[in-house]
Amino acid sequence: MTVLDATRSLPVYRKSARERLAEYAPAIIVTIILAVIVIPPVIVLLRTSLRGNDDGVFTLSHYASLFSDPRLYVSAWNSVSFSVLAMLLSLVNGGLVAWLVERTNVRFKSLAYISAIISLGTPYIIYVSAWLYILGRAGPVNGLYRALVDPTGTLFNVYSITGMVLIEGFLWSPLVFLLLSATFRRSNADMEEAARIAGASVFATVTRISLRLAMPAVLGLGLFVFIRNLEAFDVPVLIGTPSKISLLTTDIYLSMTQVPPQLGHASAFSIVLMFVVAVLLYYYGKISKHAERFASITGKGYRPRPFDLGRSKWLGSALILFNAMLVLVLPLAAILYNSLTPFARPVNWTGLTNLTFDHYRAVFAQSYYLELALNTVIVAAASATAAILITSIAAWMNVRRWPGSALLDQLTSVPLVFPGIVLGVAMIEMALNFPLPVYGTLWVIGFAFVIRYLPYGMRYSHAGIIQIHRELEDAAGISGASRPTILRRILVPLISPSLIAGWLFIFLIAAKELSIAVLLAGYNAKTISVAMFDQWVNGAGGEVAAMGVIWTSVMTIFTATLYMITRRRTDLISGK
Amino acid sequence: MSIARNCLMGLVLAAAGLFGGLDRAKASDPALIEAAKKEGQVIWYTSFVENQLARPLAAAFEKKYPGIKVQIVPGTATDLLLKLLGEARAGGVRGDVHHGGSSLWPLLKADAIEKYIPDAAKDYPDNLKDKDGLWTADALYFLVAAVNTDMVSPGDEPKTYDDLLDPKWKGRIAWTNQMTQGGAAGFIGTILTAMGEEKGMAYLRKLADQKLINVPSNQRVVLDQVIAGEYPIAIATFNNHSVLSAAKGAPVKWLKLEPVTNTLDTVMLLKGPHRNAGKLFIDYSLSEEGQKVVREAGYIPANPKVAAKVPELKPQEGKFKVQVLTPNMVEEGLPKWVAVYNELFK
Repeated sequence: MTVLDATRSLPVYRKSARERLAEYAPAIIVTIILAVIVIPPVIVLLRTSLRGNDDGVFTLSHYASLFSDPRLYVSAWNSVSFSVLAMLLSLVNGGLVAWLVERTNVRFKSLAYISAIISLGTPYIIYVSAWLYILGRAGPVNGLYRALVDPTGTLFNVYSITGMVLIEGFLWSPLVFLLLSATFRRSNADMEEAARIAGASVFATVTRISLRLAMPAVLGLGLFVFIRNLEAFDVPVLIGTPSKISLLTTDIYLSMTQVPPQLGHASAFSIVLMFVVAVLLYYYGKISKHAERFASITGKGYRPRPFDLGRSKWLGSALILFNAMLVLVLPLAAILYNSLTPFARPVNWTGLTNLTFDHYRAVFAQSYYLELALNTVIVAAASATAAILITSIAAWMNVRRWPGSALLDQLTSVPLVFPGIVLGVAMIEMALNFPLPVYGTLWVIGFAFVIRYLPYGMRYSHAGIIQIHRELEDAAGISGASRPTILRRILVPLISPSLIAGWLFIFLIAAKELSIAVLLAGYNAKTISVAMFDQWVNGAGGEVAAMGVIWTSVMTIFTATLYMITRRRTDLISGK
Repeated sequence: MSIARNCLMGLVLAAAGLFGGLDRAKASDPALIEAAKKEGQVIWYTSFVENQLARPLAAAFEKKYPGIKVQIVPGTATDLLLKLLGEARAGGVRGDVHHGGSSLWPLLKADAIEKYIPDAAKDYPDNLKDKDGLWTADALYFLVAAVNTDMVSPGDEPKTYDDLLDPKWKGRIAWTNQMTQGGAAGFIGTILTAMGEEKGMAYLRKLADQKLINVPSNQRVVLDQVIAGEYPIAIATFNNHSVLSAAKGAPVKWLKLEPVTNTLDTVMLLKGPHRNAGKLFIDYSLSEEGQKVVREAGYIPANPKVAAKVPELKPQEGKFKVQVLTPNMVEEGLPKWVAVYNELFK
């Protein structure tokens, strides 16, 4: 007889190696795919940051000069306050409008969508310069002030931190709006209704129920916009330099615009930023660990019913109108005006009586713009599709914490800190060393876009999935559905508003992307933004504005159609 | 069919030869033309604006030499340089001809340039070409001051660089912060070269006390801001831009503060895949015929035999003194000019 050995541990059922491998395999495969996409540019970035600009000899000087800047603390403070304030502005502005549109009986709902889509479709350089024009010394705001109050004074100096925050905040409001409106549309109305029945006011319901439910999505988004603002080059430089306000990115931008560009400095900054982002993401991961508490789409029926705002309805409607004014009407009017005046001039009677269609004629006389536009649509659509496809799977695995999925969110967030020009240079070398002759083709541009916009895809997918309680998937699993089936039949239909919003966002910003498209353009692979930039540098500002107006109109028609079709479809699915 | 095509080709060739012969510029060597035709295309990296000049020039060349296609790769000088350096690192440049400013030395270091002395260059003065055939100027730029005529009356216009030091301009002079020979750095270089080191620095210190406004964009945007009334005066803007806008009725006028900075855009042959076609294209773009296309697009031709569209834009016709900044001077001086900017103006 054998004697039981009390000291021996009890036999535990252990999964066989094969079983465990099968469990880990899907997430690991996705991790590897993402790593292959994301890591090579990181290596190039790291190498550039460690090499001298001219001689290519190993050096730490780029890091040293980054930290030895005597104004480092001032710049860092400026950067952080700029990023936080601009983030808050976009969150409050975009979030408020999203909530009003999705959860209340406010009017002008479609206007909010149109504003977001059009402003996303408007090329960045002309959008920013439209705002600089509106708020500038010679613009209508200060012009009106001079006419009415003080003929020599200036009401508002746009070249200030305030100006920077305003413009950057407006720029990212549409992103916040699109993301949060998807979140709010899918949020659970039961709890809100319970609160209302229990006698809570609209305000209390929103702050104590709705906002808390949306909190993981809002936090993730806030972090994302914050990082985006921190690494933004253009707005801080364009607006800060004339009044000598320096941010962390100011010097870096200047080093990139020198001839030849000093890429080491920018790369070192990106590497440092990458560490900051990793730390922030770590904490974000901790917050969203408890995300299931917030999941609001469960197996029970949900039909969000809009709040009745009662008498404050007009206030909500006014807010939407005001927002549309800010992100859409004003900048677009400025662009339109500049496209119709023969040269840049203040808004006055002489200006208004001397409008001309010359710039439009010049644009339509160039038939090759059509080819460029087609290239742009193809490459932007393809990269948006690829990015959303990859990130929706990655986000699903990450949110459901599949074994082996720990790195997915970190990996997809890495490209957030690549300056476009650095990524472009990295892609040139990668494409030239690639075994197939892809250099100078649209493929390379598309691939670079996928890398660049992975983080955005991830945010949209992540925010969509985090709201969906896993019980729906578990139910399907118990009923015998395989994981691909669950993905296809349960998850995708439920998160499709987020995915569509994400696709649209990537499509629109990829279509107007500049630094990468210019660097990677070949003679058969040019996008419309390359032509716009070309004209811009040459100072054909009016023609660029005309192209911008045409481009924005085309994009608006395209996306509005898409939105209407898909919205109807997703509403059918959700039984609304 | 093919006979017909050959006949047609022959006719076209004969016609081209005839017109080429009529042109005063010497027609290119037939052997070169033949070799270039075999290559079939020339890849042209150019910072000329594509629809304004690059396409018309390419079309004129293709008309003259049927069978050789010009493939345009557009971009700013900086973008193109980054591209070419990347290509050079990865085994060799892919372009045949490069047009741009400021890019000579980095390209030379990367061993991307093939020496070539074009026929047409013999008409060009010595400071518009390299004696070893590394580069030839194909377009000229004159950096000048410009004022908004609604804001500045003729009596108030500065006439000399010293007039810029008048207290009335304090905080009202804008310039681009571009660290190139065509931007702030080129202006500083002109002052230091023309006035001499000591006097130049003294002047620049006083100018810095005027609190210049650094506009983080190109020369054209600075000029547009002057036209729009953001600032009454700017320095380091291109004189042809002022003329173009003034012709459309914009309240702008350029000033001859002497010496005017004269910077060059250069064309160079790259160690690319189609060197014969490249040579032929360079010959054409520098010839009187090619330079006339440059002129028609509103650029200022470098060929001394071709006047600018508005002749006064060139120093001889416009009667103004210039300080030419050649690529060699830029290579030598730029780091110092940038350092001066960082010390005094940043």
